Amino acid sequence: MTTNTLKKIFRAVINTHDNEIGCAKCCDEIEEFIELELAGKSPEEAYPLVQEHLNKCGDCREEYEALLNALKATA
Amino acid sequence: MLRWFKNKKQKKASPPYTNEQWVELLAPPADDRAVKELRKFLIRGLKPALAKYVDRELEQFVEDTAQDGLLKILDNIHSFRGESKLTTWAMKIAVREGLTELRRKKWNDISIDDLRGPNADSSDGSGEIFSDTFASNDASPEQTVAQKMIKEKVEGIIQNVLTEKQRTAITGIMIHGLPVTVVADKMGTNRNNLYKLVHDARKKIKNEFEIQGIDPEEMLNELSEK
Repeated sequence: MTTNTLKKIFRAVINTHDNEIGCAKCCDEIEEFIELELAGKSPEEAYPLVQEHLNKCGDCREEYEALLNALKATA
Repeated sequence: MLRWFKNKKQKKASPPYTNEQWVELLAPPADDRAVKELRKFLIRGLKPALAKYVDRELEQFVEDTAQDGLLKILDNIHSFRGESKLTTWAMKIAVREGLTELRRKKWNDISIDDLRGPNADSSDGSGEIFSDTFASNDASPEQTVAQKMIKEKVEGIIQNVLTEKQRTAITGIMIHGLPVTVVADKMGTNRNNLYKLVHDARKKIKNEFEIQGIDPEEMLNELSEK
């Protein structure tokens, strides 16, 4: 196990909370989150649990970033 | 009569459509013009969004993704809740289709045994489920010894406190850095369930740290010191 892996595990433990949402809930709410962002508002205030999930889940974060790029390109 | 009225309404609607118009036009039987409009919209967004992930035949991949996404959108049009623009919801579905396909292709050769590690079934508590080695930074000899102890403690906790499924998931995601989608596929579950499994594993590790008096903040600082 590398030092970086250990750090990753410690960070993950520090940021572990009981009220985390899963990928399904994040996916359900991501379009509202992203529309707020595109409107120049603060989605992390309206959807703090979505923001927290995006910070932790690489797959959801990647999809969020790609969706944001896609919507900006079609605006 | 109702069908005539519906057809008449469909002919009147022209893009840009409202959410209500989209839902009406995409509900079976889907309106050809609306489907073409949506397809064009998806392709326009998917191309720049997926470009950095696709090294060749981007056009073809985007066309296929838009087509697969469209089928999913039409199949699920009844589940659109109307809390965003329909086009945002539709693009989300298409983006997920594309990225999921790319992840599966990229990690196709990884097997569940790779995630379990070579000694996953050993019950000697040796903690040798990880094939990568501990790479020390520029730490002093004392710090190196301390880091080695931290590593052994964490490995011991992962080996002894987590279930085999949790260990496999943690190994795949946190140690090998694989996408959640891929690990979920390999373990025969879905992404949401896997996230919950990993969340439970993190809570167990956190709890065990508390029992053993390990402060993760302090450990993190210790590892970051040079």
